[in-house]
Amino acid sequence: MNRKYTFMAGIISAIAITSTPVYSEDIESIAILTPEQGTDFGWNQQGVDGAKAAGEATGVEVVTAENLGYGDVRATLRELAEEGHGLLIAHASGYNTAAPEIGTETDVKVAIVDSPSSLKEGAVADYTASGHAGAYLAGHLAAKMSRLGTVGIVVSGEPPSWNSQSAAFAEGVKAENPDTVIRYAVIGPAAYADAAGGKRVTESLIAAGADIIFGQGNGSSFGMLQAVETTKATDGGKVYFIDVIGDKTSIDKGHLLSSVLWNLTPVYTAMIEDIKADKFGTRNYDINLADDSVSLLKTEHIPDDVWSQIMDLRQEIIDGNIVVEPKFDAASVQALVTQLD
Amino acid sequence: MALFTEAFLTALLAGAISAGIPLLLVGLGEQMSEKSGVLNIGIEGMMLAGAYTGFLIAWKTESMGLGFLAGAGGGMFVALFMAVLCVRLGLNQIVIGISLTLGAEGATAILHYFQFSRTYPRLPATLKWDIPFLHDIPVVGPALFGREPIVYFALFLVSVFAYLYRRTHFGLALQAAGDKPAALDSSGVDVLKVRAVAVLTTGALAGLGGAFMAIVGAGIFVPFMTHGNGFIGIVLAMLARGRPLWVLGGATLFGACLSLTTALQVAGIDIPTDVIQMLPFAAVMVVLIVLGSKANLPVSLGTAYARGER
Repeated sequence: MNRKYTFMAGIISAIAITSTPVYSEDIESIAILTPEQGTDFGWNQQGVDGAKAAGEATGVEVVTAENLGYGDVRATLRELAEEGHGLLIAHASGYNTAAPEIGTETDVKVAIVDSPSSLKEGAVADYTASGHAGAYLAGHLAAKMSRLGTVGIVVSGEPPSWNSQSAAFAEGVKAENPDTVIRYAVIGPAAYADAAGGKRVTESLIAAGADIIFGQGNGSSFGMLQAVETTKATDGGKVYFIDVIGDKTSIDKGHLLSSVLWNLTPVYTAMIEDIKADKFGTRNYDINLADDSVSLLKTEHIPDDVWSQIMDLRQEIIDGNIVVEPKFDAASVQALVTQLD
Repeated sequence: MALFTEAFLTALLAGAISAGIPLLLVGLGEQMSEKSGVLNIGIEGMMLAGAYTGFLIAWKTESMGLGFLAGAGGGMFVALFMAVLCVRLGLNQIVIGISLTLGAEGATAILHYFQFSRTYPRLPATLKWDIPFLHDIPVVGPALFGREPIVYFALFLVSVFAYLYRRTHFGLALQAAGDKPAALDSSGVDVLKVRAVAVLTTGALAGLGGAFMAIVGAGIFVPFMTHGNGFIGIVLAMLARGRPLWVLGGATLFGACLSLTTALQVAGIDIPTDVIQMLPFAAVMVVLIVLGSKANLPVSLGTAYARGER
């Protein structure tokens, strides 16, 4: 009798295990929401391009809702949920309250940024992607290339992703040359599209002696770029710009030194695969140097010997010989930038 | 390396002026609109339209002057809707104002997407006029007396508007259109015409402010770039109690606070950035508390005028 029950239990277990794919979720389409157009050579473009590439890789249709601004996107979220998409990617930190709320209301999975503690199995995933390792390399590059021994960091806000890159950049600068002065300024609260503010603040940092600007800012980064193009350093020489996330080479006028490039395709691909495997919302997603989802842009302004040294450092990070810890809070950034002198 | 060098202080002062001029222009515009009884919530949209058209023409023609004219025209075009819908047809000024702002945000973002989003063209450094002798004063000279002609024009407008309000019949008509439109009507002056002129002038000034942000402030147009400056202009106009000089004071205070936030951060003062960033807004709130209770808003502000109605 016992053997009979054991045999039946074994059969049932085998059916349950082998049948898992039948119960796992199928996903036909996803949607991504971005605050600005996906043509900004930065955050929004990487989000849209990454989602499209992930969709292509996994055979999932991708719908984009761009240029939604930084306000309330609940109506758009509801509309997309009603269209039946299996995942809504809310690609702005300002959306990370509304998206989980609408996800719960409509029973649709959502992915948010800058809120690692909001994970909810089967419902909410976070991708607080940080290119801090790339920013650390950019810091080394800036310290090597600075003529005046002063570099500037300009940011359009202090979301966790920006903070971790600012902190890692400052650490890289100090690791390369502890005497290098770092000047840091935030344009304003959520000044992501404030191009005029970006230019104004960058000009102030250049006047304070910076000849290399590390800028993070969506639309406002074009103001920063304009400032380095139209303002001379205090020695009368050229000012260089290090960008983040996207590649502005095609619109550069000779001042783009490098960029901490992001590729979000692996992140979104992993999300779709996790949905298919019923594991969505069980982990955070990140980008890293090892799989090239974070990399440093090589431009003609970087001498080959300097680039070679930077690539050696990259390998040391990948090998684990150098550990760059992400620091997501603004206080860590403040602690790393130079105090009043 | 010493931080507070002449170059750094000059950049801070120049930055304060660059931040303050758009507020001055938009504040002067809103003040005129409010004087006539029209609460112009759509002014942010007018700024944005001016920023787009101003940048487009400055970039196409390589002429900053034509760019500013186009900016004023762009703002005036949006204001035309306000004049027709709110002044002529008497629709709700707040609802129409919000609609115009949202509409301008969407329209300029779409136009930017089709025209500039792959190339992001940027303007060269702007032409500046150095005022002899004054330009040589350390720090203040280059920041204030070595500026773009539009800066001097904006400052000149303050005295023009002060004269207009105090010494001309049109100034009196504006005041009456906001306070006692029926009385103005009885005296034979067309209230709707006065208000329409005020709204269109507001649009032109807001557009000019937006064009300043795009041409001088940033050298580029990006969507949503006016970043709430229009709304700050509304607050400045309300606090200024009908006096153009007070708009100048408010705009200068706000611009100075913005530059001060940069100075404090660059100096590495150990205060959380969020606290520093609150400074300009806190300053406006303090002024609001001190002066707000005494603000004399026109009696008929926000109310449509229809002939024969009491």
